[in-house]
Amino acid sequence: MEPASKRRKGAACDPDSWTPYPVLSDEQMHAVELVDVFAAPVLDKRATSRLIGELNNRYPLTGLQHVKRVRSTKAEEGRPHSLEILLCPVSKVPNSDLGSLSIGCDGLGKPFVVKIPVRPALTRPQFELASKHWPTSFHEDKQVTDALRGESFSPAQKAQMHTYMSVALSAAQEGKALRLEAVGAVVVDPISERIVAVGHDCRGRHPLYHAVMVCIDLVAQGQGGGHYRLDTYPACRSIPTSVSELAQKPYICTGYDLYVTREPCVMCAMALVHSRIGRVFYGSTFADGALGTKYKIHTLRNLNHHFEVYKGVM
Amino acid sequence: LREVAMTAEEKFKAVFSPTDEEVAKWMDCAFEMAKEALNNGEVPVGCLLVYKDKVVGKGRNEVNETKNATRHAEMVALDQLLDWCRLGNQDARSVCEQTVLYVTVEPCIMCAACVCFFLDRAADIPLVAYGCGNERFGGCGSVLDVSSAELTRTGNSYKCVMGHRANEAVEMLKTFYKQENPNGHVWMSPQRKRRWLKKRKHTLVRFQNEHRRIGDVTFWKSETTAPVKMNNTFLFF
Repeated sequence: MEPASKRRKGAACDPDSWTPYPVLSDEQMHAVELVDVFAAPVLDKRATSRLIGELNNRYPLTGLQHVKRVRSTKAEEGRPHSLEILLCPVSKVPNSDLGSLSIGCDGLGKPFVVKIPVRPALTRPQFELASKHWPTSFHEDKQVTDALRGESFSPAQKAQMHTYMSVALSAAQEGKALRLEAVGAVVVDPISERIVAVGHDCRGRHPLYHAVMVCIDLVAQGQGGGHYRLDTYPACRSIPTSVSELAQKPYICTGYDLYVTREPCVMCAMALVHSRIGRVFYGSTFADGALGTKYKIHTLRNLNHHFEVYKGVM
Repeated sequence: LREVAMTAEEKFKAVFSPTDEEVAKWMDCAFEMAKEALNNGEVPVGCLLVYKDKVVGKGRNEVNETKNATRHAEMVALDQLLDWCRLGNQDARSVCEQTVLYVTVEPCIMCAACVCFFLDRAADIPLVAYGCGNERFGGCGSVLDVSSAELTRTGNSYKCVMGHRANEAVEMLKTFYKQENPNGHVWMSPQRKRRWLKKRKHTLVRFQNEHRRIGDVTFWKSETTAPVKMNNTFLFF
C-alpha cells in the first residue's frame, strides 16, 4: 500500500498551487544592455529610403542587425519631425565628437545620442524592454513565451506531472527512511505515459549513486543493460521495456522525461546530457545545482545535447 | 611533528609531484586500456588510479556494453578503487588522498565533477593527469572548469596536468569515429534533417544496398562519420 506520508503530501499540494518555471539560458534571461548611437531626425519624409540606402553604405550597422534603422516619433511641440534615423555607434566616431561626424547626407537634422539594445531580444520580456528604447525585430518562440507566462502546460498535463512528482517524493521518503539523502527521481516515457524507472539516493551503497544516476542505470537495466546492484533498495525499480517497445530500439534515455525532487548536481546534470534526456522537471533548487543555480549545463553551447528544464514542480 | 607542521601545499608537493617518467609509465598503461576499449567497440578512453605506485583501479569505457551512457572509464576505475579498499580493508578516504588519476582524454564534466566529490570535501583525489583535451565535453577547462570550481556544498578542487601523448589520444578517437557505433542513433529535428540531407545530397547514393539507416535518417555508408567533428572531440553516434 502507499505510505501514509505520501497521501498526506499529495493532499497538501494540489496541481494548482504550483507553476513550473522554465530554466532558460543566461542569454535569454539577461537584462537589456544598451549602447550609445548617434541618430538624427529626418527632415523630409520622402527622402527616407534614399537616406537609408546612403547610410547603409557608409555606416553599416554591423552587429546591430536586430535594430530597425528608422523609428517614427510622435510629433510633439518643439519636435515636429516624425521620423528618426540611426547614423552610427558613438564608439566609431573619434573622440565621440559630433563635430567630426561627417554624414555627407542631405536632409538630416541635428544629430543626437540615443541608447539602443546591443543584443537581439530572445524572449518577449526582453523584446518589450528593448522596444522602449528603439524598435527592434523579434522572432518569437511561442513555446518560450508560454513557458515564461507559466502557460505551457494544460491542467491535465499538470495533474500528470503531479502524479509523477508524487512518485518521486515517495521514493525520496523511502530513501530517507533508510537514512539516505531524501532525493527521489522518476523517469517517464511521455509518449506512452509510462513510468520507466523509479529511484532514490543510494549513497549508502556507493558515493556516486545519486538518485539521478540510479535512475539512469535503472533505465539501462530495463533495456537489458545496467551495472548497479540495488537489490537492497526495493524502492528503486525499473519497469522492463516491452518487446514492442524494444523493437523500436530505445536508445538510453532519448525522449524520456525526468522528475526529480531536488535540482541535480554537476555530475548528474552531465549524466543526463550523456543519456540524451528529453526534459527535466525538478522541485527545489540546490546550492551546487547545475541546472540553473550554479551552472546551466543544459544550455551550454559546446555540448552535443540540450534539453528543457522546468523548476518549481510541486 | 614535522609532518604536522607541513602545510597542505607542501604535503601535496611531497606526495604528488609524479616525475615525468612516472607519468609516462602510467599513461602508457592507460593507453593500453584505451586500445582495449577500441577493440571492444567502445569510445577509446582508458583510466588508471595509482596509489603509492600501485594500480588500485583501472577502467575503460563500458557505455555500449551496459547501455548506460555514464559508464565512462573514470567511473569504472573509481568503482574498482572502492572495491579494492573494501577487499584490502583500507580506509577509502586516506587512499583517495594519495591517489593520482591518469586518463587518456580530458574527463568530461560528469567525471570531472565526480572526482571533485567522490568521497567528501576534505579527502579526495588531488591530481588528475590526462592526454588530450576534450572540446566537446571537457570538465577541466575545455567546456566548463569543474576541477577548480568552488562547489560549496559538494566538492573540493584538484590539480590537472595535461599533454602526455595527446596526439595519439586524438588519433585513437578519430579511428573510433571512423568506424561506426553499432548502438548509436542519430536524432534530428525535421528542419535539421532537411538541412543535413540537402548539404549531403551529392554524396547520397540512391541505391538501396548502399544506404545505411541510422535512427530515422538514411545515409550513405561512409557518410556516417562525416558529421563528427574529429579534432579532439568525443561524440557518441
